[in-house]
Amino acid sequence: MSVIWHLVIMAWHTLMRNKVQTLLAMLGVTVGVGALVTSMALGKGAQEAIKEQLLAAGANMIVVNSGNYQVERAGAGGSPADHAAISKPRSPILQTAQWQSRPIPNFPNVKLYRTHFEDDPMAEHDHPIASERLGDAMAGLGAAATLTLQDAQAIREQLDGIEFVASGVHENARLTLADDERKQWFTRLHGTESQLPVIRSGWIFPYGRFLTAGQVRNAEQVMVLGKVVADRLFGENVNPVGQTLLLWNQEFEVIGVVGSRSWASQPVAGDDQFDAVYIPVTTVHSLLNLSKLNTITVTTSSAGETSIIAKQIEELLRVRHGITEQMPDDFTVRTQSAQLLGKGLAPDVARIVAGNLESIEALTIEQLAASLQRANSTMLALLAGVATVSLLVGGIGVMNLLLLSVTQRTREVGLRMAMGARSRDIASQFVLEAIVLSVVGGLVGATGGALISETLEQLFAWSTEVSFLSMVVSIAVAALLGVIASVYPAHRAAQLNPIGALHHE
Amino acid sequence: MSVISLKDIKKIYQLGDNTVHALRGVSLDIEEGEFVAITGPSGSGKSTMMHILGCLDSPSEGGYLLNGKDVSNLPRQELADIRNRQIGFVFQGFNLLPRTSAVENVELPLLYSRPVMANTERHDRAVAALTAMGLADRLDHHPSQLSGGQQQRVAIARALVNHPSLILADEPTGNLDSKTSIEVMRLLQELREKQGITIVLITHEPEIAAYGTRIISVRDGVIISDEKNEPRSVDPIEELPPIAAASGY
Repeated sequence: MSVIWHLVIMAWHTLMRNKVQTLLAMLGVTVGVGALVTSMALGKGAQEAIKEQLLAAGANMIVVNSGNYQVERAGAGGSPADHAAISKPRSPILQTAQWQSRPIPNFPNVKLYRTHFEDDPMAEHDHPIASERLGDAMAGLGAAATLTLQDAQAIREQLDGIEFVASGVHENARLTLADDERKQWFTRLHGTESQLPVIRSGWIFPYGRFLTAGQVRNAEQVMVLGKVVADRLFGENVNPVGQTLLLWNQEFEVIGVVGSRSWASQPVAGDDQFDAVYIPVTTVHSLLNLSKLNTITVTTSSAGETSIIAKQIEELLRVRHGITEQMPDDFTVRTQSAQLLGKGLAPDVARIVAGNLESIEALTIEQLAASLQRANSTMLALLAGVATVSLLVGGIGVMNLLLLSVTQRTREVGLRMAMGARSRDIASQFVLEAIVLSVVGGLVGATGGALISETLEQLFAWSTEVSFLSMVVSIAVAALLGVIASVYPAHRAAQLNPIGALHHE
Repeated sequence: MSVISLKDIKKIYQLGDNTVHALRGVSLDIEEGEFVAITGPSGSGKSTMMHILGCLDSPSEGGYLLNGKDVSNLPRQELADIRNRQIGFVFQGFNLLPRTSAVENVELPLLYSRPVMANTERHDRAVAALTAMGLADRLDHHPSQLSGGQQQRVAIARALVNHPSLILADEPTGNLDSKTSIEVMRLLQELREKQGITIVLITHEPEIAAYGTRIISVRDGVIISDEKNEPRSVDPIEELPPIAAASGY
């Protein structure tokens, strides 16, 4: 080993005898390897970006809704995307005697609409509200809230593979500007917890921040506005943090604005995410005197496991709600993949999802990302082409240097031969010099490529990811290039006649 | 046993359409401890002789025994090994590697010894050889930082470092002024006198040839005279360090 190291050092010294020549030849390799590392970083970055965008769009999300609309839709047809959910093998509920005996008008074509919305729940109602009319259990068939904070806690604590859980209450709400009552916006209200932004990883906060755990715990009257709401009420690019809004005639302080960073879901009016406001779930509970939840939003650590975990959640909740074999769920568990369809998702992604609806359970984010990767292939092919050409030019440069070097150092070769060097010794000396040259050039190139990738990310916000492996591979490619480029010059040197070489001027 | 035994050596080149008879039958025996000067004008065939003696080239005809082993028809690689183990070369114009330290220059033959020599041993032997040449304080100097005489002594150290049985010196004083030339010749004489090393010197200058114990004149590819010689003696020069017998050289 030490002998080889010594030879490497000697090769380096030999190369440094002609600094300019060596550096020029090295430059070719450096550029080639730099281009290679950069293109690999961009390729990997694009893949990671797509994966992240898909996760941001909620591909690993499960939403548990209270109530069960399937019964209603079973009679009415329902949308294609729901068939998968409807056809789940449950006992034929509509036929059971127990079910039919329920006093619901016009059964089996049940039409349980979402309870008429209570725009102002603080107002006196002149009719019985849902739970009064139907009782909680039956109300579950419609839209009444059957989930509790304890259910959310159970999911959080009893299931594996869960990343985050956030519970939510949803209402429609009319917001009024405290300073100017003519300015109103009718939108969705989400009572939620502080962890929601972690689940909605595609969220950004142009102004302020999301609810804190403390604000949720203390049921504070604070509010985070969706970007659409903020734009409508305060105008675009206006910071509304610190302003006061009226909801249910109560004052709420605006503490933040939420927007999207994913191209897969952009804020539009009526989208339920950005045309919405967020307040602590506890605040909703205490103001409206409620204890139920409308939704529990869950993310899984792995996008491939959503359907399994969705199944587990369903079983857990059936046990917790004491639902017997024959009874339908009083809640709905849905994976977000199905909801992504045509909902804020880029058409090409939606097409992939839709095209694989049958096998969507098995579809992992990696596969989705790989499919999308093809869109980047032209760009990558271009970069790979640049890398190949530069490496080729670099290789020719190395070969050129070595050929020149063989000519310049003919006397040295003769001398070494006179001292007892065999052809193989001479050849390996030139090969080693080429390897040292290429590897040093490669190291510089790989470092440069990593820096360039980093710069591209900083300056142009391109997604890049420099992997250690790609750097190792690039340097190995450079070394191989050196070996190939040195074959001919080394052969020429090895075949020199010692006498002729010694007397070469 | 003779160190060198040439039997009717002939060397024929084909130069374009011309056939060149460089050597036309040379027979010669050189015994251990001799200091043989081979002299002759250019084109006489002395260089060809030197190449064949140095196993850099093979004769077209005839036999060459080096230390009793027939080396006249060996393949390239085996000739390389023989040069490495048995012959030390001192070339005209020093032939040191530029921008390479004295030690590294002297290490050069050891780099090709088989089995492979450890770095430390190689370095130690090179330092010892240079010390013996009085260059202990010039180990890391590059050839450009050394005087002509010092460079030639580095070259001699390099020739000696592998403990060869024969030193072949090809016009060793070719690029040196007369004072330095005398120094170098004195050095070679001492090697012979104190260590009994066999030396073959190729030169076209009669006054340089006069330092040998035997002078062979070559002309037109044949030996025209082969005589014993009372070597020209030089008073030891003050600056010239005596060769340290203890070092083994």
